[in-house]
Amino acid sequence: MIRLKKFSYWYPATEQHALDRITLDIPEGQFLGIVGANGAGKSTLCYALSGFVPHFYNGELEGELSFDNTPMAELDLGKLAGQVGLVFQNPFNQISGARFTVREEIAFGLENLGVPRAEMRDRIEEAMELVNIQELAERSPFSVSGGQQQRIAIASILAMQPRVLVLDEPTSQLDPDGTRDVFAALSKLVSTRKITVIIAEHKLEWLATFCDRVIALANGRLRAEGSPQDVLSSEQMLRLGVGRTQYSEAAARLLRSKQLPVTLEQAKKALQ
Amino acid sequence: MPSMRGGTIYVEGRSGLHKLHPLTKLALSGLCFACAAALPGLPWLLGMFVLVLMPLAIWGRITRAFLKACLLVVGPFLLSLAIIQGFFHGGDTVLFQLGRFTYTLEGLMAGLLFAARLLVALGGTLLLMQSTDQAQLMQALTERGFPARIAYVVLTAIQIFPSFQDRAQVIMDAQQARGLELQTGALNRARLLLPMVGPLILGSVMDVSERAMALEARGFSSPAQKTSLHSLADSASQRTLRWLLVAAALGLLAWRVGSALA
Amino acid sequence: MNLRVENVSFRYPSGVLALDGVNAEIASGEVVGILGENGAGKTTLVKLFNGLLRPSQGKVWIGDWDTADHSTAALAARVGFLFQNPDDQLFERTVAREVAYGPRNQGASEAQVKRRVAQALKLVGLQAQADSHPYDLPQPQRKLLALAATIAMQTPILVLDEPTIGQDEVGRTTIGHIVNSLHQMGRTLIIITHDVDFCAQHAQRILVMLQGKVHVDGAASEVLIQTKILDEAEVAPPQLVRLAQALKMPAAPLNVEDFVDEYKQWRKKRKK
Repeated sequence: MIRLKKFSYWYPATEQHALDRITLDIPEGQFLGIVGANGAGKSTLCYALSGFVPHFYNGELEGELSFDNTPMAELDLGKLAGQVGLVFQNPFNQISGARFTVREEIAFGLENLGVPRAEMRDRIEEAMELVNIQELAERSPFSVSGGQQQRIAIASILAMQPRVLVLDEPTSQLDPDGTRDVFAALSKLVSTRKITVIIAEHKLEWLATFCDRVIALANGRLRAEGSPQDVLSSEQMLRLGVGRTQYSEAAARLLRSKQLPVTLEQAKKALQ
Repeated sequence: MPSMRGGTIYVEGRSGLHKLHPLTKLALSGLCFACAAALPGLPWLLGMFVLVLMPLAIWGRITRAFLKACLLVVGPFLLSLAIIQGFFHGGDTVLFQLGRFTYTLEGLMAGLLFAARLLVALGGTLLLMQSTDQAQLMQALTERGFPARIAYVVLTAIQIFPSFQDRAQVIMDAQQARGLELQTGALNRARLLLPMVGPLILGSVMDVSERAMALEARGFSSPAQKTSLHSLADSASQRTLRWLLVAAALGLLAWRVGSALA
Repeated sequence: MNLRVENVSFRYPSGVLALDGVNAEIASGEVVGILGENGAGKTTLVKLFNGLLRPSQGKVWIGDWDTADHSTAALAARVGFLFQNPDDQLFERTVAREVAYGPRNQGASEAQVKRRVAQALKLVGLQAQADSHPYDLPQPQRKLLALAATIAMQTPILVLDEPTIGQDEVGRTTIGHIVNSLHQMGRTLIIITHDVDFCAQHAQRILVMLQGKVHVDGAASEVLIQTKILDEAEVAPPQLVRLAQALKMPAAPLNVEDFVDEYKQWRKKRKK
């Protein structure tokens, strides 16, 4: 669905690669996790996968970047909205500010896409239910906590029913409860709607529990890819500044097996 | 309980006044401006306020909020106009003297007249703003071809301002926690400026590109014909009423200009 | 310097009762983690320590000072405060000047200021960036800069609000080292966080808040293993505690080394 072949990118007026010869094929319906230290290129890759590179950020490109077999450069953000959704870290900046209640805020994107009113209502209710914010429907989106704002931001994009959802560290402002709600909602979307979800995150245990596949970046380059357990349990993660879960760390000192556990379930099985 | 939304003065409600189409109320506030400019005397202006605006406010169940807003907006003008005009307008009927200055009835009346014009002009606008969701007003305007981008800027400005104040409070907290003393003389006030304004502006500048991206992600530049969540109830009688209000406003102004020229 | 909270309640002007009869005493040199879901009253509590909020009822003592008698600026000599978002405080032209701002407000001599700036920058590892513009640093490093600015004020007590948010593993480790160093210098550290694993590794004492009250308060090794009590406060136990309990091990260690030892002993006993 989204394909990169030896794709490189430089932000305007910079000499350093932001992305360096990345080759990656993301099929429809995949839940893909992106890990990497800060500055490794996670955000830039998220922007490329959602078309903001090259349509929002200029700069130089090399190689291939295509969405549904169409070069990304031939599309534009107006057409991509509704196809690809982007959610990022700071919740405050994602609230449009043009509407006065949470329900109207979620409607904003649908109004822009020209969704008929009756359908709009259904989609809004469904999106609110997915991230569990029904009780906020009539509140002002500016009167709720940061964690709640982030869920509003996610619901606002979900309601647009994109085929691809890209999230750049969406849970960094959330407490454990909020994080669980978001991941659960995403995995439900992947399994029921077959939408493609791409998420950049530091919270390894959650990635390992929900993702189908994980890639690791460092200095703009793709350094590892594979199943969450293979990638996240490897010693390489320590060198890349990604770190490992405490389960992997404990198991690394206790087991000789090549494939270490990453999640609680895996650790329980391996150490029993 | 009346509640405020963001930085607006809108008072939520379900009254008949609230349910009027925003453009009908806009036309009414236009007529109020025309009345304020054209009506010849105090009785007419007060009549307009008491017999038209007040009943509308009562109908909208916003009487208290409406009177309070009128007092807040027009009150200070009333006071200063009554004082200044009373002393400096001139006239024969002296009410009292203060040293070399005389206070005349004619001056007082001139001050009151001016204040009454303001009351009618702003009263209509206050009635519109207090009984109309600003988002719906903008929707009504964009449906008639008003640019969506301008409507967006107006609405965000209304809402972002209070959160700007919140952020200013956080910054003030942060700098006080670094030993910045707040309650000192004018010289030290200048010292406050940079630590307060610096983060506020730098932060907002950094926010701009992210906000722009978020807006694109919400399809703001989508080529589709925009729809809206709420339908604005309108009717043939309201449309007729709007034309009548506009015609009355224009008629009043024409009459006023005509009689001034004559 | 001891910190004492005596029967404190706090009601926001909106009417919300954020703190309800809180008692706590924190001794000089302790590292205390404050846990609890969003809205539990964590931030409200620590804002009382430097007078950003004043109790509606009860008293807060910083050493022999009743906070009611002192301005926030005066209390800043005793309590340093790292805010969640570094961008709420950075305004100077260079990193070094930013760090010097607090000590200058305190009336330190230029020689002292210079020494303190150098020390603080060294501690957080930003010496090389001393002459950079703060906004040329990426966000995670700006957080370290804000931390350095707090450290340079040399207050006996330091409050850190969510220090690890948005940090990658490298940043998290760095902050962990900084916390350990400050602890060795004898400073009191109060850390608000959702990062339970960070607390497990660096805090000696844990205070769990729930609905404006202290839900549980005690040594980290005792509090963090009480899964039921943590659950009540919507706090997820540390990974190793969860693993030990899933395996039904008799003890629940907080760090990897202890876990490995406990595990080996437990396995040996089980074989017999």
